Amino acid sequence: MSSSTGAPLDTPAPGHDADSVITRTGFRIATRKLPILKAGPIDDMTKKLGIAPPEMIFGDNMARIEHAQSGWSIEFNAFDALDRVDKTGDSMLKVSYSKEWQQNRQKQFEDIKEVVKPFDWSYSTDYKGSVSGGPAFTPTDTPIPLALLQRKDPILFFDDVMLYEDELADNGIAMLSSKIRVMPERLLLLSRFFMRLDDVLLRIRDTRVYVDFATGEVIREYTAREEKYEVVRKALAGTKDDVLAVLRDPNPLSQYLPITEKTLEKVVLK
Amino acid sequence: MSIGGSDLDRAIHQLRSCRPIPENQVRELCYKARELLIEEGNVVGVDAPVTICGDIHGQFHDLMELFRVGGDVPDTNYLFMGDFVDRGFYSLESFLLLLCLKVRYPDRITLIRGNHESRQITTVYGFYDECLRKYGSANVWRYCCEVFDYLALGALVTGAATSLSPTDAPLAENANIECPPDSDELEIETLNAAGEIMSRCARGYDGQSVSQPTSNPPSSSPVPTPSRTGPAGTGATSSSGGSLGNDSGAILCVHGGLSPLIDTIDKIRLLDRKQEVPHEGAMCDLLWSDPDEIDGWGLSPRGAGFLFGADIVKCFNQKNNLSLIARAHQLVMEGFKEMFDSTIVTVWSAPNYCYRCGNVAAILELGEDGSNAGYVRRSNGDQGGGGGGWILGSNVGPNGGAGNANGNRRLSSVLGERAREGPGRRYRVFDAAPQDSRGMPAKKPVADYFL
Repeated sequence: MSSSTGAPLDTPAPGHDADSVITRTGFRIATRKLPILKAGPIDDMTKKLGIAPPEMIFGDNMARIEHAQSGWSIEFNAFDALDRVDKTGDSMLKVSYSKEWQQNRQKQFEDIKEVVKPFDWSYSTDYKGSVSGGPAFTPTDTPIPLALLQRKDPILFFDDVMLYEDELADNGIAMLSSKIRVMPERLLLLSRFFMRLDDVLLRIRDTRVYVDFATGEVIREYTAREEKYEVVRKALAGTKDDVLAVLRDPNPLSQYLPITEKTLEKVVLK
Repeated sequence: MSIGGSDLDRAIHQLRSCRPIPENQVRELCYKARELLIEEGNVVGVDAPVTICGDIHGQFHDLMELFRVGGDVPDTNYLFMGDFVDRGFYSLESFLLLLCLKVRYPDRITLIRGNHESRQITTVYGFYDECLRKYGSANVWRYCCEVFDYLALGALVTGAATSLSPTDAPLAENANIECPPDSDELEIETLNAAGEIMSRCARGYDGQSVSQPTSNPPSSSPVPTPSRTGPAGTGATSSSGGSLGNDSGAILCVHGGLSPLIDTIDKIRLLDRKQEVPHEGAMCDLLWSDPDEIDGWGLSPRGAGFLFGADIVKCFNQKNNLSLIARAHQLVMEGFKEMFDSTIVTVWSAPNYCYRCGNVAAILELGEDGSNAGYVRRSNGDQGGGGGGWILGSNVGPNGGAGNANGNRRLSSVLGERAREGPGRRYRVFDAAPQDSRGMPAKKPVADYFL
């Protein structure tokens, strides 16, 4: 059953439950969750981006950390993430059966050659968040203090915000989401891009933002991981795990993907 | 045990309450269904009135909502364009219920194959795991996959009226009416789940004299935000005029779209469909291809699969005396999307897709051409019966039927006409069933100590 106005009951209306906010010693943490964009806003986004957005585009969603005193903020949103996707055909992947498909096709339709609007349709992004105001991040050797994050401090605020998702035309999955947990003295935000192109490639690109409220210290860590599908599948075949289940879940999967890039940055807000 | 008569009704009753039926009943059901489906041609003939539905994807409670909004089987004649399974949590119950209804009321429900009705895809996207979880073995999955191989590849709807009789219903808030009060040519009507009129559009009406309602705030309104001319989701424009008439060309229904290997519907009929969905070729294209704003044919940037433009659709429709192609396969936020001057429409019937997209769903109702009354209902066979209906399989040909001299009333009416007038289209738009009805965990994410 639906309400008489036909409004989806599962999804909050704007200005109501869509926004969640918590304030913690000078930091304001906010998330927004709304349905996927409708046709009009998608057309606008397509024009601005220059590429077709993913099938499920949560263009109104965001996760944001602000420090009022310094004017510094970092936000994670779909548009900025997609703006960093390769809009040329230079880094295009091919689905697993592409070769077979192409060979058969060429026999019959040599005249159909044009690849429509080439771009990185896996929506792979190296997005580390949109930073504005305040001092800039600088490289650091200080890692995120894992020990402090492993303590079971009470979680005062938690949210998991989907930014975009695409099923790669049933050839796998590409998704970007931002998770955040706020404890009394610190917070951790994890923005994860996960891409599985079946029988071809696996990618996980994590951006972690750690904030220590007392010191105003913000650490940002970016880790990119990547491995061929077949290599991972073989490695998993030697374990007692459910291979397909692990290939769908970036948490157990990440240990099987070697790190291809890692950066560590820091900024102290006063 | 056999599944027939009252057993079948019991199974339907059980599945309607979202409880799976025992494995031996599934086996029997699948056997019966195969016997039935094997008699159907690759392109099933369907008479209007009919309600056309897109992807379901195992969203059982939303399928129940669809039946509530569109009417129950057998009162309403349904055509489902595939993708019954995967993604949702209740692929098994959704598919088995549809299959039971097919076996119980074969002339009141038509099921065609989607790209997810495939062994390979279901092992990756959920249906296989679900069967294993619910039965402890892959047997049920195997039975269902055997049925998949027998599903038709398309359907051809004939006898649809070109104009709708207006629904006698209250207007929804922000209703968008582009229809002079005295118009007798209602082309498109959109209703919400409460049966209220969301929009109306008369054929050939330019809508200039009607002020567009102001845009709704993003993502807030159930009424699709209007864009360009015509109601949102529709491609209605002032160019869709044409001669008056009360029967439209036929409507081809396929899951994905067209194929460069297929220029006539007869070529679909010649395919050997009783197999796993292949990775290439005409059968693959029909289940996988997408329309796009391009000229001619294009290659998907993914390295496999075709995209087709407006000229391809218009040419195909003209050659085959079609007024419209209805397809599913792609998520559209408003539940339906007409493209290329309303020569093709995407219908999407899984609201709040994957339980998190917040999109609405739609079904498309095609009315019955009044003059069709009294015709003998054809069975779902390949070659249509006589009796003044369409002669399926012979009304198309290299000359688009123009050379066909069988005196068929409908065929003669298309002679000299550039494009067939589209059928009157009533879209019913609906939201997801409420969360509590499906025993789902609350939407609020559970806090965890992620690192």
